[in-house]
Amino acid sequence: MNDGNALYRFLQPHAPDFVPDWGVVLTVAIIGVSIVIAIVGLIALAGTWAERKVSAHIQCRYGPMYVGGWHGWAQALADGIKLISKEDMIPVGADRMLFMLSPSILLGSVFAALCAMPLAPAFYFGYIDLGVFMILAFSSLTTIGVVMAGWASNSKWSLYGAMREAAQVVAYEIPLGVSLLAPLLVVGTFNMVEASNAQADYFGMGWLAFKNPFVLGASVIFFIAVLAETKRAPFDLPEAESELVAGFLTEYSGIRWSLFFMEEYAAMFLMSVVTAFFFFGGFESPLSYLAMKSFGDGYVYQVVCFLTLAAKGSFGIFMMMWLRWTLPRLRIDQVMTMGYKYLTPLALFCVLGAGIWEAIKHAVS
Amino acid sequence: MSEQTTQYKPSITIADQQAAAGKGAREFMMDVRTTDLEVNMGPQHPATHGVMRILIRADGELVTGAQPHLGYLHRCAEKIGENVEWLQYLPYTDRYDYLSSMNNNLGYSLAVEKLLGIEIPRRASMIRTICVELNRIASHLVAFGTYGLDLGAFTPFLYCFREREWLLMLFEKICGARLTYSYLRIGGVFNDAPPGWLEEVEQFCDVFDEKWVEYRDLLMMNHIFIKRTADIGVITPEQALDFGLTGPMLRGSGIDWDLRRDMPYMLYDEIWKAGVYQIPLGSGAQGVLGDCWDRVYVRVQEMVESIKIVRWCLANIEPGPTIAELPKVLRVPPGEAYVGIENPRGELGHYLVSDGGKVAVRCRVRGPSFCNLPILEDIMPHTFLADSVAIIGSTDVVIGETDR
Amino acid sequence: MDFQGIYDRLRAAKAPGLLDCDLPRAGDPADKKDQGRAGDAFVLVDPAHWADFFRTCKQDERLGFEQLIDLSATDPAKDDENFWVNVQLLSLKHKHRLAVKALLPKDPGRIATLARVYRAAQWHERECAEMFGITFEGHPDPRNILLPDDWAGSPLRKDYEFPKEYHGISCE
Repeated sequence: MNDGNALYRFLQPHAPDFVPDWGVVLTVAIIGVSIVIAIVGLIALAGTWAERKVSAHIQCRYGPMYVGGWHGWAQALADGIKLISKEDMIPVGADRMLFMLSPSILLGSVFAALCAMPLAPAFYFGYIDLGVFMILAFSSLTTIGVVMAGWASNSKWSLYGAMREAAQVVAYEIPLGVSLLAPLLVVGTFNMVEASNAQADYFGMGWLAFKNPFVLGASVIFFIAVLAETKRAPFDLPEAESELVAGFLTEYSGIRWSLFFMEEYAAMFLMSVVTAFFFFGGFESPLSYLAMKSFGDGYVYQVVCFLTLAAKGSFGIFMMMWLRWTLPRLRIDQVMTMGYKYLTPLALFCVLGAGIWEAIKHAVS
Repeated sequence: MSEQTTQYKPSITIADQQAAAGKGAREFMMDVRTTDLEVNMGPQHPATHGVMRILIRADGELVTGAQPHLGYLHRCAEKIGENVEWLQYLPYTDRYDYLSSMNNNLGYSLAVEKLLGIEIPRRASMIRTICVELNRIASHLVAFGTYGLDLGAFTPFLYCFREREWLLMLFEKICGARLTYSYLRIGGVFNDAPPGWLEEVEQFCDVFDEKWVEYRDLLMMNHIFIKRTADIGVITPEQALDFGLTGPMLRGSGIDWDLRRDMPYMLYDEIWKAGVYQIPLGSGAQGVLGDCWDRVYVRVQEMVESIKIVRWCLANIEPGPTIAELPKVLRVPPGEAYVGIENPRGELGHYLVSDGGKVAVRCRVRGPSFCNLPILEDIMPHTFLADSVAIIGSTDVVIGETDR
Repeated sequence: MDFQGIYDRLRAAKAPGLLDCDLPRAGDPADKKDQGRAGDAFVLVDPAHWADFFRTCKQDERLGFEQLIDLSATDPAKDDENFWVNVQLLSLKHKHRLAVKALLPKDPGRIATLARVYRAAQWHERECAEMFGITFEGHPDPRNILLPDDWAGSPLRKDYEFPKEYHGISCE
């Protein structure tokens, strides 16, 4: 029953005889959840700090420099403490239940999605054959949380934000899913570890995006759709600061507000990782190729793979920040037009092209 | 100009969308009619540049009516003007359009000087021109930067503020204040420029010329920016005249009018005849004539024109006195005068009435922001909520001046 | 055109309600009390033909005042029985200005609106109405603009007394 779980496989032989099987499962579950929570917290902390630093350097400033000493590394931590110690405020007319529930739904869905993400080729919480499908499904669930927050806040601006989020996500789920079909067609599996392993050739550079030009095209579409899914500029309409005050976040403060931000950064990382897995090699890079060649698939290889993935994910986040601090925001009708009229047909074209390309490749070889 | 354009139609009514679609600017077809939503944009809202409140009636994302409400920053400037002495009123002029205080000082000083009938020394005029034009650049930098902010582009705002910071440092050097200068006095300027100041201004001009090109390319020519601003908030030339728009709002609609050239004051006649500067006009380069992009681009172009004027002044400035001889307690001869000058936002008018005493009988301030604002009621309906932010930003209001 | 030219043209065009003009003049050096009059020249207009006068100004080809720049009022003194209603007109085509003034009796203080001639007048008249208590007849949107809706009194009148409190907030 737990064959898919690397942690279980590791712990099970070492478990003393008196510990029943469910005890091991429970331990594995607790450790796994702790790791995911730690990852989300770490991403949120590093993400907010990086966002400040990246934006600052783009804008010819330094950003935080004092808290913690070295380049204000503890700024995010200090902010977190401030947010936790703030008064928990719920507007008078708000729907209290939904208002309190919505950050949990957001964060819960992103936790669930993160569980499907393998951390290294031999370290994962589930060897899920429909891994990426699960991630996409759970990350779509965040929309419900946002709509809930917008509705429950009893503010017109929040409602606007929620409606925009709903419209935007519905529009961009399609190109997101369809453009992902192109690499799936090439690699032939939904399983993220297998997809990564399939890209290990050419000295670790046999990335799907380089094997098939249509997949490269699809990767651009996928990344744009990811920006829209994660509400990042130029698609940050749900919170559009200058138009909707803060959109669905208007009435939130303190710890609940920070939960929204944890979700945002975790979702950014998650989607960057998915992009990495299905377009840009996953765990594979020349470095992991070298590690494999020199040390076999032991701990060194696993660690190098994990670091490769983290680097790719961080680079994705950096790209998102870079775009955010460079581009103006689109208007809602332009967002819709782009999603429905341009990205969806283009994504379909990429899938078609990728399929034909593969067919020709098979025919030739 | 017919009477037709002047018919008032309150915009907070359930507008006929079929009629709006018939105008051809944009088409909105709705199958389901629901109740419109009334949203208060402001008084605390990031896009209203202060404490303006705009009551918006919206059908989903579509704005069907807008009504500006003012008065949240009313500080009784005109009443104060009737209660303090002529010279004492000068610091209050700083406070109406706090982004272009030099210009406000100049407007008031010129009006009083007109009543007094005095000549001011040439060097004073030169320094005044330099300060006023630098202040115009500073003001347009804020307008341009915050406009990017309104559209979600954060970074150009910081770049603009970096340049503005330099200007504020220059102002601080010459008069000790960074925002409310009170430097241009009745009769001239408060004191001469400190040694080396003019050279620093020249350095700024050199740097700014380069930076200006970057800012233009970064924001004005950005594809998303153009898509967001072109064809939005179109003000026709007829509307512009009818609403009494002035400044970049008027020139954005393609009307060639600049008080500096057409009704010159101080040295502007001489500078214009020297062929130093141009009057940038809206041309509809990216869309329709008189759209938001045109208005913003006029401001952006005006910045380099101001640099040219500053350069001319730096080349032609000569030593001399910087303030005319005036008595300690100013008694202004009876009479009334109106002086309008070209502020960064349009015509700043001072209508002063004196009965020969120490205080004014009437101190009327015609603020360009106040006069440029009523057009919102006409151009905001039938746009998207996001466009309404773009339109408000393109009028470049400073609430301190609308409310005075 | 200079002021004299505009005035002659107004006379020639038989502008309704045109009464007189007032030019600045130097004081008499012999008479210490006579300081003359400084500043701008203006035309005096009969408030009874207020809107018609501006229609002429706007529609006459040679005058061509396309823009109303400013409209305000002045309360010259506490015991004066008239307001002045001041208007600044601007012609972009001919590059000239005109200052117009009407002496409006404080009681009843009613004058026709210019909002149907120049849209620009609409907000100026709202401000003027609340500050002086002048009624602009036929104004399409006669609400307060800068003051709160429930503000009592007309602050820019010379006989205005500052309120002691406003909604329980002390103003002293």
